[in-house]
Amino acid sequence: MSEPILRIEHLTKVYDDGTRALSDVSFEVARGEFLVIIGLSGSGKSTLLRCINRLVEPTSGRIIFQGRDVTAASRDEVRQIRRQIGMIFQQFNLVKRASVLTNVLAGRLGYVPPSWALANYFPTAVVEQALADLERVGIPEKVATRADALSGGQQQRVGIARALMQEPQLILADEPVASLDPAMSHSVLRYIEELNKNDGITVLCSLHFLSLARRYGTRILAFKGGQIVFDGLPREIDDARFKAIYGDDAVAVEIT
Amino acid sequence: MAITEGSAARPAARLRPPVWYRSWRFYVGLLLVILVYGYGWQVTQIHLAELWRGAHLIQPFVASLASPDVLTRERQIQQATASFYYGGETPPPAARGAGPRLVLSRPTGAIGDRVTATGDGFAPDLRGMLWWENQIGQRQQLGPFATDGRGHFTLTFTAPQVQGTHNLVSAEAVTGVGPLRPSQTLLLVTDRMIETVFLALMGTTMGVIFAVPLSFLGAKNLTSHFPGGALIYGLTRTFFNLMRSIEALVLAIIFTVWVGLGPFAGVLALGVHSIASLGKLYSEAIESIDTGPIEAITATGASPLQVVRYAVVPQIVPQFIAFTIYRWDINVRFSTVIGFVGGGGIGFVLQQYINLLQWRQAATALWMIAIVVAVLDYASAVVRERVL
Repeated sequence: MSEPILRIEHLTKVYDDGTRALSDVSFEVARGEFLVIIGLSGSGKSTLLRCINRLVEPTSGRIIFQGRDVTAASRDEVRQIRRQIGMIFQQFNLVKRASVLTNVLAGRLGYVPPSWALANYFPTAVVEQALADLERVGIPEKVATRADALSGGQQQRVGIARALMQEPQLILADEPVASLDPAMSHSVLRYIEELNKNDGITVLCSLHFLSLARRYGTRILAFKGGQIVFDGLPREIDDARFKAIYGDDAVAVEIT
Repeated sequence: MAITEGSAARPAARLRPPVWYRSWRFYVGLLLVILVYGYGWQVTQIHLAELWRGAHLIQPFVASLASPDVLTRERQIQQATASFYYGGETPPPAARGAGPRLVLSRPTGAIGDRVTATGDGFAPDLRGMLWWENQIGQRQQLGPFATDGRGHFTLTFTAPQVQGTHNLVSAEAVTGVGPLRPSQTLLLVTDRMIETVFLALMGTTMGVIFAVPLSFLGAKNLTSHFPGGALIYGLTRTFFNLMRSIEALVLAIIFTVWVGLGPFAGVLALGVHSIASLGKLYSEAIESIDTGPIEAITATGASPLQVVRYAVVPQIVPQFIAFTIYRWDINVRFSTVIGFVGGGGIGFVLQQYINLLQWRQAATALWMIAIVVAVLDYASAVVRERVL
């Protein structure tokens, strides 16, 4: 087995109000995996994803991304690491008043000289890359549209295009389809799957629906109370395991 | 189980609140209200009868509102003058020239003398007025005249009792009227209104220039990330609140002492007041932004400045523009009164007109204010609707 792209060692996060979101989490992610993280709301999924690019400061433990210690990195190093990690959000987190193109271009901010970007100038090559990425997610005609004029599914595809602009090694997707209807969910997840299969981008994706996790994940990590309660292949999750993750009262809801 | 039983057993009627007129609190409250308003009525010296008794004083003003001093016609006047001295001194002979002439039956005399004025060279069949002008230029009418077919008239009058000795008799007749043109008052009021609008513009601009950077320091969501941020936030907000609590009119008085009478004092007063009120509005706009885009742009590896440029600025600019236009609107309205304390603008001439009881001129100024403020009000509403 080759060097893992991401290694988490004894990661713990305690928020200022005393909430213990993660306690002593350790796992490895191999290059090219589509790792799905499942678990109830508040089980630590979002915190884990945000610790990896240090949007949230870990309390203790280590995160090694491509051999570099993220937790020990300086401010500038963190920004360099973030450039290689794309992120997709449940609420899309687009700048609603800005055009689709501006939102996609913003994905490249870590690479362009800061003074150019402040004057809203991007080199032609970057603009062309943005147009190509929009074509890839199937909405090239929406370039000049304001982001808030798009449907939820289209907004999330803009979010994917923005992440693509970073030419990332790893994509963190935090509940990317939780705000979308089932048909849209599949559409968006297929785009992410395509990036995983064709571009070899490693994906860490948290999902609510077990059916979606089984369909898209190459491996599943289940969280409960900030700890890993299952780590294995999608088909290994049986009824007993399901109850262990979601509690005895849970009923599996299918999404097709 | 106990909870269920308890709530089921209790009759619904018991839970109803007591009827208002059975509550002693209602009567205590009523008494308090009567006391407060009774005292207020007395202390503010409300005498409704005065409204009726003083109506005749304000009536000329109300009437003037219907006929403001806006337009005037240039009148073409034929005029001839002749001197009439009291006390025996002989006036110098009048210079002979073309046009109408006025000759008095005698050039000197005393109060009460009968004098005959003879006019020649006027236009035929003209009606005019003979005036008496004393040594300091005060005029009174001696009587009307009418010229015959050759432009000649005679009129006998009694020399009136006036101060001074060197008097002038003047025959004046209107031969025609020129085209309509704006009156002096309208020109002056327009000039001052333009000054007023620009006073508001400069004051607002000054407010914006200082309020924008300060508003970032006064936004909790931005300052909380930095060490000492809470202190900076507290200081900025305290500054805003203190400055806002001082009325711009008071500031104007202070600045007229500092930089002298004139529009500059008004600009400073409006500016300082605008810094505080815009700063507070801007800060609140920043505090209410969506944090999602900030997180997303940060996650791309952007620098803090880039995050502000791409995630914060696009969210706040429309609100900033709307608040600024709104503030300018307020400032225009306010700068109309800032002249009352010597801060420049239209308020200064309006106050003069009112003090001199020049009601038609005051009406011109008031109409000007009303129209300009209403137009700007409408324009700002349209623009605000567009940007938001």
